[in-house]
Amino acid sequence: MANRADLALRMTRDAGIEPARAVGGARGVLHALGRFAVRQPLGAIGGLIVLVLVATAIFAPQLAPHGAKDTAFTQYLPPSIEFPMGTDQIGRDVLSRVIWGARLSLYVGLVSVAFGITLGALWGVITAYFGGLADGASQRVVDVLMALPPIILALSLMAALGQSVNNVILALAILLTPTAARTLRSVALSIKETPYVEAARAAGCSHWRIIFRHLLPNSFATYIVLFTVNISYAIVVEAALSFLGLGVPPDEPSWGGMLTAGTQAMETAPWMVFFPGLAISLTVFGLNLLGDAIRDLTDPRLRGGLG
Amino acid sequence: MRKSLILSLAVSLLVGLSAPRADSQEKPRYGGILNWYVYADPGRLDIHAESPLSVQQALAGIYSGLLHYDPDDPTKIVGDLAERWTVSPDGKTYTFHLRKGVKWHDGQPFSAADVKTTFDRVLNPNFQSPRCGSMLKPLVSSVEIVDAHTVQFQLKFPAAPFISSVASAWCRVAARHILEKYGDLTKPEAQIGTGPFKFKRYERDSVIEWEKNKDYFISGLPYLDGVKQFVLKGVPTQVAAAKAGRIMLWDTWPPMKKTEADEVKRTRGDEVETFQASLNTIFLIYMHTQKPPFNNPDLRRAVNLAIDRQELVTKTLEGAGVPCALLDPKLVGDFALPLAEVNKLPGCRQPKDADIAEAKRLVEKHYPNGVDVEAAVRSVGGYIDRAQLVLAQLRKIGIRGTIKTYESAAGFAVYGKGDFTFMATQDRAMVTADPGDVFALIYTTEAGSNWGKWSDRKVDELTDRGLKEPNREKRKQIYHELQRYILTQDTTAVPVGWVEGWFFRDKRVRNYKASPTVYDHNTFMKVWLAP
Repeated sequence: MANRADLALRMTRDAGIEPARAVGGARGVLHALGRFAVRQPLGAIGGLIVLVLVATAIFAPQLAPHGAKDTAFTQYLPPSIEFPMGTDQIGRDVLSRVIWGARLSLYVGLVSVAFGITLGALWGVITAYFGGLADGASQRVVDVLMALPPIILALSLMAALGQSVNNVILALAILLTPTAARTLRSVALSIKETPYVEAARAAGCSHWRIIFRHLLPNSFATYIVLFTVNISYAIVVEAALSFLGLGVPPDEPSWGGMLTAGTQAMETAPWMVFFPGLAISLTVFGLNLLGDAIRDLTDPRLRGGLG
Repeated sequence: MRKSLILSLAVSLLVGLSAPRADSQEKPRYGGILNWYVYADPGRLDIHAESPLSVQQALAGIYSGLLHYDPDDPTKIVGDLAERWTVSPDGKTYTFHLRKGVKWHDGQPFSAADVKTTFDRVLNPNFQSPRCGSMLKPLVSSVEIVDAHTVQFQLKFPAAPFISSVASAWCRVAARHILEKYGDLTKPEAQIGTGPFKFKRYERDSVIEWEKNKDYFISGLPYLDGVKQFVLKGVPTQVAAAKAGRIMLWDTWPPMKKTEADEVKRTRGDEVETFQASLNTIFLIYMHTQKPPFNNPDLRRAVNLAIDRQELVTKTLEGAGVPCALLDPKLVGDFALPLAEVNKLPGCRQPKDADIAEAKRLVEKHYPNGVDVEAAVRSVGGYIDRAQLVLAQLRKIGIRGTIKTYESAAGFAVYGKGDFTFMATQDRAMVTADPGDVFALIYTTEAGSNWGKWSDRKVDELTDRGLKEPNREKRKQIYHELQRYILTQDTTAVPVGWVEGWFFRDKRVRNYKASPTVYDHNTFMKVWLAP
């Protein structure tokens, strides 16, 4: 069996990162972060934005001055000290909804991507390993799913399933599975041909041991990249579905749903469009920057393949 | 030189004198297509069996009734297919003398047999007719043919509302040979009428087109070559079409809010005029009385108490509406309870603290941890906003709602089947200006829009007595008692308020007259377009 520590060392050297010195605990982490910021400044900016997003999502109950569905206020109030982002068409505080919207977007993004990419990865790796008819048939299924324009597929799924947060997660997961399957399949195929997998087979390892001890762990880098890149995609698709009225139910604080109401009152209350739109843009921007940086870190390894 | 000067002065004087004057003196011009819109795809086109405005709009110019509201003065009822009518001394027999020489759009001749087939269908106890049937079934016992051009209606009792009901836009006459051929009037091919326009084209979700009926029984009418109704869903689309000049008229439900009307006026300027009007339409919240949790009268009472009608009217109608009233004094005069009295009743009175506390207590008595409810709402007009506000109000008393949206026609199908627990909002437009309408349409056991299946004997009795009472003062007392009773009960349909709103008309559209209901001014029989 290959020495994973050696491999890890080689990975980091190939990526142009000096292996971390054995500095203890928190200082070590800070050092690593500092190095990351210097080498990937854009990634660091992205990371900061994502950090703000995650913090907003986690601490929403403490940060939001009011509830997301609380309609106690006068409608269409422009931004002021009391309502920094104004109020919407039925008197809800836009700032509170944007903050709670961070939680909703992140929750939907993370869970749908976790399910979709993980499922797709397992599917791709397992069928790549076993090959043959199973692999061929499942790739035709993937072909069909990938041939459909994603928004059309998502809309049809939502129309069939009905509007709820969980159904949006399900629809998005279905959307993401085929791409993950295809990508992870090609990675698995290249790993399958490496000497140490051959050796493992010769030594009598069972199929499942090879899959779970060799193929999957070594596809992890690709998996991580797919994961981070698709979170922003999932967030945008959820916003699009909610904007079109087929995403989460209308009173949930979805940034996309807030845009729908905002477009109906653009001349009266432009802040209803501006702030949720800004939130979506910043989130996607930050996630993409971070995702690009992570991909750059692991890219040489992917490009060169193993061994 | 001088001669030509005098001549040119004379000519210009003559021209000036003969220049077009005010609207009413202008001679109608023939030609042109009126561009209009409908808020949803009508789906099923059976005028006797359906109840949404979208269906009535789609078919308005195609059919004629026995009687109708005069296009020149929609507060008056005049003959349409009937030239004249007489009443027997006991008030129970109405004889209609029909026009001769009227042809159906496919060329077949019209006769009394068509009238009998139409009303036999509508009055059939096994036929669901939520509009015409709801109004006529309690009144009419039979319809008989006297001869090819004479029809008689036998009433169960001398009923004051009979004439206005039979004149309603929902009681149109259909062809016997078409009903025999197709069984019902659901399909576009079955839209054969005697009206000023023929049904030219129906592209689902896109457009409904009428073309001029050249053989219309009033010669010289209609003036228009046709009418196009674009199916425009969602207020932003509708407002955008108004601003772009794609539609020439916005005269009916859903109304614009003032901010939207101002936007249209700003964009189109002098080409249009905007106006506020009442729609004779009531905003209701429905609960199903045979399913949990609202099969429990305490829960229904709680909803009645907790709903903040004033907030709903202020925020979702931008103040254009009359909150709390079960009858609007502006529409039915003193048949309505005085608003001062209505606004003091529990549920309506402000501030709402006492009522909300009581409502919360009623909910907690049965559901100490609150209750989850699915709220159905059709995605038309401003309904989604209203639904969110209603649910926010109910959250205060422990009722947690999740919104389930439906397309317009699909929603009505669901309501008709009773497949809902709670309807966050649903408007019902009155068909006539009679005070008994709202009760016959919504609150009696047999009412066509009693989707929540509420059954209260006192309501049925009082409504029946109100129908039959000839003395106006006594009738008024009956309706006052009825309003007081419903407003203090655990009713299925909470009256939030009467809907008003803003509209616009392209100034080129001439001779268009508003009517007390949303159904009686849309045949465009005498409307014409200025260049």
